[in-house]
Amino acid sequence: MKSIKIYVLLLAGVLGITGAAKAQSRPPLSLQLNYSIAQPLGSLKDYANKTSFRGWKAGFLYNFNDQFSAGLNVGYQDFYEKVPRAIYPGKDGAISAVQQRTLQTIPIMLAAQYAFTKPESKVIPYVGLNAGIAAMRYEKYWGEFVEGDDSWQFMATPELGINVPFGKYSPVMFNANVQYNYSPYKMGDITNFNTVQANIGVKIHVR
Amino acid sequence: MKRLWILMGFSLVTAALLSSCRKEPLNNLTQEESRIYITNYDKNANFTTYKTFSIVDSVAVITNRGDHQKALTSYDQKLIATVTKSFQDRGYTLVAKTASPDLAVNLSRIDNTYSSVIIGGPGYWAGYPGYWDLGYWGYPGWGYYFPPYYGVFSYNERAVSIDLLDLKNATPKAGGQNQITTIWNAMLRGSGVWTGANIDSMIAAVFTQSPYLSATGTK
Repeated sequence: MKSIKIYVLLLAGVLGITGAAKAQSRPPLSLQLNYSIAQPLGSLKDYANKTSFRGWKAGFLYNFNDQFSAGLNVGYQDFYEKVPRAIYPGKDGAISAVQQRTLQTIPIMLAAQYAFTKPESKVIPYVGLNAGIAAMRYEKYWGEFVEGDDSWQFMATPELGINVPFGKYSPVMFNANVQYNYSPYKMGDITNFNTVQANIGVKIHVR
Repeated sequence: MKRLWILMGFSLVTAALLSSCRKEPLNNLTQEESRIYITNYDKNANFTTYKTFSIVDSVAVITNRGDHQKALTSYDQKLIATVTKSFQDRGYTLVAKTASPDLAVNLSRIDNTYSSVIIGGPGYWAGYPGYWDLGYWGYPGWGYYFPPYYGVFSYNERAVSIDLLDLKNATPKAGGQNQITTIWNAMLRGSGVWTGANIDSMIAAVFTQSPYLSATGTK
């Protein structure tokens, strides 16, 4: 929670400094829609090791000037692994089961971005930082029987990407970025939530 | 041209979004994969101290709908035969229940229609009408004791339970409640547990994961 507070203060600072600057070639408000692929790392990889091709991310950003923008985004990612029948020892016995391990995350995060080049560039690289909360839906299936848990967790996500306008002053841009997601999520054998995520999509300046 | 780009971009992303729903675990299971085999045992029991066993002559069908019975279908006959052979393979000798066996084996099929009930562990059905009365084993009026096993799953369909009773140490307590301890329990749960063709593999599985269950020492 403390990190969120610091983050909100930082955002307010950016707002204050840059509120006056308005020399822009595109409308300041943009929408962004991405398709996401994520690779689990660390203990999450031990839980469900498969790269997830089931994800998306959507949000909006407001440009305070040519370089700085801030906004909000939501996403979705589904992690899954099926483990063949095995015997899992317990305290007073054992369970033989085929396990299906699933984890779905829905992050809702504040975003801030800094663009390295001017808006008329052919390629606009940027860095971003996202922080917020993520809904974690954990379901471990033992055969057809499920053991589940739902919770909200803090999540922080640095991001590195490029925007490629479809023309010099086009409001439509191709977007590609990679992000690292971290959450201090603990559930079963998961001690931390760590993923590397690649996103491709479009960013459209609407007004 | 610009419009076209927007359209193409959006349709691409929309298609990606639509195809990215979750992987549905329940649609990704065969009958065999849906089943789980749970075994629990009393850690204080020394399974080599028992030499003889006896087994029930039919299978109790326990339901929460009040139509309980003892049944002896072809499934039940095969279940009795397979469990008997498995205990014999582990070094125990089958005797008649009148010959004071060290161990007794109860077989039950559970057919409850709860949708979601959190269960504290196996043995909870021991109080249900239809479960084996200890009078069957020559201990009328005695109660069952199930050690506090851990329970993981809620319960919503058919199951098979095998309970191993310690008759050898059934010494009456003065003035207290007489109890027979269940020292081993196996539960078969999931799709097809009441299908005769699955008995061999299910029973093999529960014995494989219980290596301590032997008259001659751990397998």
